[in-house]
Amino acid sequence: METETGLVHRTWWTPYLFLAPGLAMVTLFSLWPFVNTVILSFTDARILRGGSFVGLDNYRRAFADPDFWVATGNSVLYLAVVVPCLVLLPLALAVLVRTKIPGIGFFRSAFYTPVIASAVVVGLIWQWVLRSDGLVNTVFQRLHLVSEPVPFLTDSAMLLVSAMIVTVWKGLGYYMVFYLAALGNVPATLYEAAALDGAGPVRRFFSITVPQVKPMMLLVGTLSAISALRVFTEIYILGGESGGPGGGARTLPFLIRQVGLGFAGETGYASAISILLFLLTLVFSLLGRRLSKGDER
Amino acid sequence: MTRSNPTRIAVALLAAGALLSTSGCGLSGGAGDAKEAERTGRVAGRITFRTLQLKPTFTAYVQGVIDAFEKQYPEAEVIWEDVPGDGYNEKLVADAQAGALPDVVNLSTDSFQLLGDRGMLADVAQLDGALAKEYVPGAWEQFKLPGRGDSVYAYPWYVTPEILTYNRELFEKAGLDPDRPPTGVEEFFDCAERIAAASGGRYSAFMADPKGRLPGDWQKMGIPILSEKQDRFTFDTDKAVEWVERMKDLYAKGAMPKESLLKSDDINQLYGGGKIVFGPGSPGFVKDIKQNAPQIYAKTQVAGAVTGKLGHIGIYAQSLGIRKDTEHLDAAAEFAKWVTNGPNQVEFSRKATIYPSNAQGLADPFFSDRGDGKDAETLARAVGADQLKTAALDANTPVQWTNQVGDAVVREMQKAIKGEQDPRTAVQKAQEAANRLLAAAAEK
Repeated sequence: METETGLVHRTWWTPYLFLAPGLAMVTLFSLWPFVNTVILSFTDARILRGGSFVGLDNYRRAFADPDFWVATGNSVLYLAVVVPCLVLLPLALAVLVRTKIPGIGFFRSAFYTPVIASAVVVGLIWQWVLRSDGLVNTVFQRLHLVSEPVPFLTDSAMLLVSAMIVTVWKGLGYYMVFYLAALGNVPATLYEAAALDGAGPVRRFFSITVPQVKPMMLLVGTLSAISALRVFTEIYILGGESGGPGGGARTLPFLIRQVGLGFAGETGYASAISILLFLLTLVFSLLGRRLSKGDER
Repeated sequence: MTRSNPTRIAVALLAAGALLSTSGCGLSGGAGDAKEAERTGRVAGRITFRTLQLKPTFTAYVQGVIDAFEKQYPEAEVIWEDVPGDGYNEKLVADAQAGALPDVVNLSTDSFQLLGDRGMLADVAQLDGALAKEYVPGAWEQFKLPGRGDSVYAYPWYVTPEILTYNRELFEKAGLDPDRPPTGVEEFFDCAERIAAASGGRYSAFMADPKGRLPGDWQKMGIPILSEKQDRFTFDTDKAVEWVERMKDLYAKGAMPKESLLKSDDINQLYGGGKIVFGPGSPGFVKDIKQNAPQIYAKTQVAGAVTGKLGHIGIYAQSLGIRKDTEHLDAAAEFAKWVTNGPNQVEFSRKATIYPSNAQGLADPFFSDRGDGKDAETLARAVGADQLKTAALDANTPVQWTNQVGDAVVREMQKAIKGEQDPRTAVQKAQEAANRLLAAAAEK
């Protein structure tokens, strides 16, 4: 039936019609690969051969594999260090760049620049900065702060720290924009009232700014947790394809790639590690949910 | 913005992120032996031809070869597709799984092994009995498969030999005679030690790059990589421990750039900047240095590769495989033979720093001309071609030394070279890990 505006009345399936293309894409490119990964994790599949069912063998192997525990430890450590930095530092930066001083626009743009730079370019620049004959070591040695170059890239622990620094540096501008949006929604009257009551800038920050942007902090924490658990590029570019000396700086995605790729790639085992990474991510998801529920109460 | 919105978005994003973090990792499917095509005696039909990263630099050359073939065989049509190097093997795997391999496909050593082992390639020796004598023996032999007799599963195409390149001036500064370069691994290490002592930390001798050095260095030292039956690794020997000890000592003495233990992709930059004495062992590199660092090029000396006890280099030819179940076997086979014939390979070698695997092509005077013996590029071409004539398969990386085996060995070596692990333990652990991977591959 046609209305006065000439539009046809919608039928019950109209919304589903609109949903269908998106749903099809998600099913094809996310859900099905995920289901496929779950299935593969219970098989001994290799790159060019569908495997046979091996039960929980791949999972048992993972738990007995020292490489898996090193990678899990590194991933969790990465998350534990990077997430707090990426929740707090961009907030401080956002508060700073909201200050009305001449030329602040330049700084806002400058802080955002690393976000639009490609991860490979960023990695290469940092490699030049951190290598044993790079900028930092040259400066340190000229100032006689160290006698031997600091092994930023050739020691597993230092390599992990270097990669964390790159991740945080690259994420600062990105999350700063999130906080700028959130800060824009905080009513100015709250600050005025607090100022009238005699609250100083520090008090205003902790009593008004932080509570007002707390939901955004949760969002930033969640987003940065996801990227921290999936970190690969920084370590690959800084530490080479072995993932640091002896593979000591490998994270879970790094291990998945190493196990699953190549013509001898063990797709089944790599899928099992992927599922374990998924479960790890889920744990942090539930933690985030609990935190947000507590917040709502 | 309400309070709950970001929270909801956060939870949704986390779930989606978790899902996506795992979703890219699955691969399934299998590929069995393909049904064999038969010759009809008629070179006709439309065939697909896939090359590895030849566009746009060699578009005119390849198209010229195709046009000439189509002129010779008017009933045949060649559809050419060029795929970038990045992800080439992955695409090949995906196509093999989907039964969508091209009729004629450019294969590297590892992709040849993969498709050949799975019975996806036609036996070209059977297609043309007289073909063998057209190619350099080492190249022809490379495309045989263990346990398959005299069958050969690809047409050898272009080859890149290993040579030795070094900075003559820095070599002399270390008190070494540039006209007497090292020929064995131990001798190479001795040179490196003297270079490190003379450099005062301003430059290094060579790239540590254990992944690139192994198992080649061990083969050149006469270390048995595999048992006679080729069913287990046997490199855990005193000689291998000696290799690790030397590497560790040289690394500590600054004979190698520190980061080269993990990465070796900056060797051209380091050599071009006079920061390293031994350059990469490929003739193509000499051409790059000529273009990008003429001052260093003038100091570059070229010699035969370090071959140690073997006395010859290995051979790694690019090849053209024929899809076993191609619909136009005659056209595909004739075309692959056409592309890899002497004149076409020589013409290709004049355009790029590569060498023909075709015996007639390699005998072309272009490859024996040493000029006045002073120009590094000309000399590199002649030295490389000379080495190819005696190249043999025993210097090649064994197929059992997969990328994963290489990674596992290299991880132990890196720890030992850095001094985090005793060299003997490192070699032991490396062999254990390599044998575990080999056994797992054999089981499945």
